[in-house]
Amino acid sequence: MKLKKYFLLLAIAALAAILAACGGESEKGSEQDKAKGDGSENEANDETNPSTTLDGSVVIDGSGTVYPLMARIAEEYMTNEQEDVSVEVSRAGTSAGFKKFLVENGTDFNNASRQIKDEETAEAENLDLEVKELKVALDGLTFVIHKDNDWAKEMTPEQLVSIFKADGAVETWSDLNPEWPNEKIKPMGPNENHGTYEFFYENVLEKEDLVDSVNLQQDYSTLVNLVSEDKNGIAFFGFGYYVNNTDKLEAVHVDFGNGAVEPSLDTIAEDGDYAPFTRPVFTYLNVNHATAKPQVLDYAIYLMNNINTFAGETGFAPIPEAEVNENIQFLNGLKN
Amino acid sequence: MQQVNERKITRRMNIRILRNDISKYIFLLSTLFGLAVLSILIYRIFSEGVGSFNLDFLTGKLSTQPERAGIMGAILGTAWLMFVVAPVTMFLGVGTAIYLELYAKKGFLQSFIQTNIANLAGVPSIVYGILGLTVFARAMDFGNIVLAGGLTMSLLILPIVIVASQEAIRAIPSTLSEASYGMGATKWQTIQNIILPVALPGILTGAILALSRAIGETAPLVVIGIPALLIPFPDGIFDKFTVLPMQIYYWTLDSALLAEYANLAAATIIVLLIALFILNSTAIMIRNKFQHKF
Repeated sequence: MKLKKYFLLLAIAALAAILAACGGESEKGSEQDKAKGDGSENEANDETNPSTTLDGSVVIDGSGTVYPLMARIAEEYMTNEQEDVSVEVSRAGTSAGFKKFLVENGTDFNNASRQIKDEETAEAENLDLEVKELKVALDGLTFVIHKDNDWAKEMTPEQLVSIFKADGAVETWSDLNPEWPNEKIKPMGPNENHGTYEFFYENVLEKEDLVDSVNLQQDYSTLVNLVSEDKNGIAFFGFGYYVNNTDKLEAVHVDFGNGAVEPSLDTIAEDGDYAPFTRPVFTYLNVNHATAKPQVLDYAIYLMNNINTFAGETGFAPIPEAEVNENIQFLNGLKN
Repeated sequence: MQQVNERKITRRMNIRILRNDISKYIFLLSTLFGLAVLSILIYRIFSEGVGSFNLDFLTGKLSTQPERAGIMGAILGTAWLMFVVAPVTMFLGVGTAIYLELYAKKGFLQSFIQTNIANLAGVPSIVYGILGLTVFARAMDFGNIVLAGGLTMSLLILPIVIVASQEAIRAIPSTLSEASYGMGATKWQTIQNIILPVALPGILTGAILALSRAIGETAPLVVIGIPALLIPFPDGIFDKFTVLPMQIYYWTLDSALLAEYANLAAATIIVLLIALFILNSTAIMIRNKFQHKF
């Protein structure tokens, strides 16, 4: 009986030890804390020196469309520039992200696949937040269809709008073109949390209601799967989600009047042929945080310096150098 | 005496034997169904994930590039989360069970609490997430750190631990505690020396099974807001963190961007399965080794 009790105690102790060991690195942690302390003193002494070691965190939320680009640059910054700074990137969606951005002690950056709205700007003024818009890349609103859909490969903007509009009087493909199959169209897209939805609603549909049958989703991966499995599906989202799934999806070539244009990195670039459906994507910087926290400002400058390097590989077209430089100048002006 | 009608009896016998066989196969089929689904699942996960499952993956940092991505941050995050969840639920859960079983007077209040604990065990985990977000992350201003996540998870598995501990305490023969009282021991002495040691294996089994549920939960943490990209390792319970199931969730979603992420998700599922397997076997071992027979 007694022996068993000791066994039990031992077992508990072992469990606790395993937990503690797994948790581990607490010693390392305290050392790091010390190092952190030193770091912040250094940087207080000479803030202008770019080789200063920074620490702390940079919190980024917002658009899922812009996420791949921002995550890529955040990782690059943490591996090559400032190892002790933790850049956290989330993706609640543009509008959901603004709700976390426009509060006391909110996020430092909010990625957005649409421009900030008037009521959001007003909210920022209420809170005495200075917000700086940084244009980061160009994205083409891409309409995707099933691989086996061999009829709707080319469409006009008017046809696309009539598919998604509430009173577009289009239910089947044959409503668009009598030669097309008499099958029901299944329109899909991202939901209201997403800037992509709002861009589509405001700039493409011109604020007319969406058709009732539209299937709105929170996650882009769901949309990719839905369309790749449904011959009558059609969805819209950022170019990046199409370009990584060209084996599963087909992009609709849009005829803006001068022949059908395929969305590609060339056509969605500045003044490209896909321009009517091309939109800038942004990140919004909390300038109060940038002046108070050196790591936020440093990251903002790094972001702008490297934005065009990483745009292409994550499915975005670069923005003109002049605009980048303008923003870098503004950010440098925030120093000290 | 009436002659026994042999033909009639044999016919009825055959029907009864047939029924007996049919019912056997129905139950066998339902068992096989579960097993088949499980083996398909395991086969798929291993065939997808085994390629990415190696030492670099286990010890590496998170990355957006699949070939460089590692899972150590999530493993440590899970460990730190358990570091909060285990003591909190053990203390609160066992305490509640002792009070309800040994102190509380049987009556309306006791049965009211009892019913509510049983109901709480069935509340969807996302509801606990909303509670955690409101109370721990916002009202107490913890944000999305390990402590907030751990306390939320503790609430989630608390009812399970309470019920398991109550069962363990109830299973102790009353002769044991009566003997202790008979020797002049106080209630606390009896609990300390008789009831807890005897009930501990049962309590631990329940607690470990509850912990393995907490390890696999995603929904409450999605609500609290775990970053999709968090590279530094957590150093303590006040750090931001990510856990294995969150990483599985994000990589599965991101497979729309890069197909290789699906392999990483599968490899992470293997890690999670191994962790759960270890925990559950510990629970079974404790139960077999220390079970008291009276």
